[in-house]
Amino acid sequence: MNLLSLRDVEKRFTPRRGADYVAVRDFNLEIAEGEFFCLLGPSGCGKTTILNLLAGFEQPSSGSIALEGRLIEGPHRDRGVVFQGDDSLFAWLSAVENIEFGLRVNGVSARERRRRAMAFLELVGLHGQAAKHPPELSGGMKQRIQIARALANEPKMLLMDEPFGALDAQTRSHMQQELVRIWQATRKSIVFITHDIDEAVTLGTRIGVMTAGPGGRLKGVIAVDLDGERDRTDPRYLAYYKQVHAMIRDEVAKANLREAS
Amino acid sequence: MTAARRLGAEIGPYLFGFLTLFLAWHVAAQHIVQSILFPPPLLVLEKGVQLTASGVLPQHIGASLGRILVGFACGSALGLPIGLVIGSFRLARQILEPWTEFLRFIPSVAMITIAVIWFGIGEQSKIFLIIYTTIFTVILNTAAGVSSIAPNKLRAAQALGAGRWQIFALVALPATVPFILTGMRLAMANSFTTIVAAELISANEGLGVMLWNGRMFMLIDEIFLSLVCLGLLGFATDRLFRWGIYRFAGRYAPVT
Repeated sequence: MNLLSLRDVEKRFTPRRGADYVAVRDFNLEIAEGEFFCLLGPSGCGKTTILNLLAGFEQPSSGSIALEGRLIEGPHRDRGVVFQGDDSLFAWLSAVENIEFGLRVNGVSARERRRRAMAFLELVGLHGQAAKHPPELSGGMKQRIQIARALANEPKMLLMDEPFGALDAQTRSHMQQELVRIWQATRKSIVFITHDIDEAVTLGTRIGVMTAGPGGRLKGVIAVDLDGERDRTDPRYLAYYKQVHAMIRDEVAKANLREAS
Repeated sequence: MTAARRLGAEIGPYLFGFLTLFLAWHVAAQHIVQSILFPPPLLVLEKGVQLTASGVLPQHIGASLGRILVGFACGSALGLPIGLVIGSFRLARQILEPWTEFLRFIPSVAMITIAVIWFGIGEQSKIFLIIYTTIFTVILNTAAGVSSIAPNKLRAAQALGAGRWQIFALVALPATVPFILTGMRLAMANSFTTIVAAELISANEGLGVMLWNGRMFMLIDEIFLSLVCLGLLGFATDRLFRWGIYRFAGRYAPVT
């Protein structure tokens, strides 16, 4: 059985005025245990809607989403979420207290949760920053805390919504390497939302490309058969890049056209 | 830099600022206006020392401060939960907003007459007025704080497995603390206005009474003494509040 399965998922929003807006439709996807799945799409294609549905922040209008065969009915600790912005961190808590939060609300003893939080702080490479508060940390460090906070809660999978989108190019590239390292260390299944082809080919074991919105669907899925650290000058990397690019090019053009009109 | 020198660098300019204020007053009174209606600072200081020794000034200050503190504490304690409820629940906001939006536009000074009729000229009417002046500022700021919490904070807490009550106590409340403290600071400043107005009209002691008596008996230096005390007390309580925020709630609201 697959870890996560989406069947005929549709999400429509009813605005106060005007016709219903269909964000995603006919969305079918199966994700296996241990995968690093990148969901790629042009802006406005509904990829964040998919993430919100997976997280349980929103419910599908029709179709079903199931984790290990059980329907997703709302947010749950079995799906850790990493947000794009740093506004999801608790500014009044220190780095280690942020990481402990999930364990704290789930009744883990103070001593045990501190021990586990410190281990995850170490895993994300924030050794020695335990007592700092989020406003004192850089953008990359804040995203590391978010990742550690989600992982410390021992979820079945991680959902990441363009987590490096707000970082500068150098930091982003470094964080991508770090994420691969963390994924290899934990083998936690990841659904990673991005609009960056390079990021998707660098990270994913499979890449799902979405059509332009409204009513975005999955256009196709590409399995990336590259091991270890990926080299951007490797011809195989370039071949994947071209393949994904060819698939998404028309969709980006459509999205731009729609935005212009 | 040693601690003493750092403190000096911090406080030095402040003291200098105060010094220029009193110097300007001195020059204006002694050399420009030269009227018995505008006493120089040293004369007022002398009066202050004299009234402190006789116990009159501490009594007035104590009366005004006591009223402010009791009213302020009660007003904040009442306003905080109401603000949290208004900020958290749409229905509560719809029901309670007419109350707050109507009442907050009636200045507390305008409520003095009714306060005296209802509660007499004793302590109760003053405390009522300070509560009145405090509560709406605290309610509005608290409610604004709750409704401005980043939705991702609440979602993050949900995804980590927090229940409704945990989200309220561990996320919504701490995220609102800076707004609550700001509301309380503003309310404290308003309390000074209200207490003077209330004491001008009906009281036996307090800085407002001192002002009123000064006018009745043409004791210009006492009027000035009362004004100086109000300025200094307001300044001191505000600094104390800021220090308290910095000391005890710094992690919620880094004060600049």
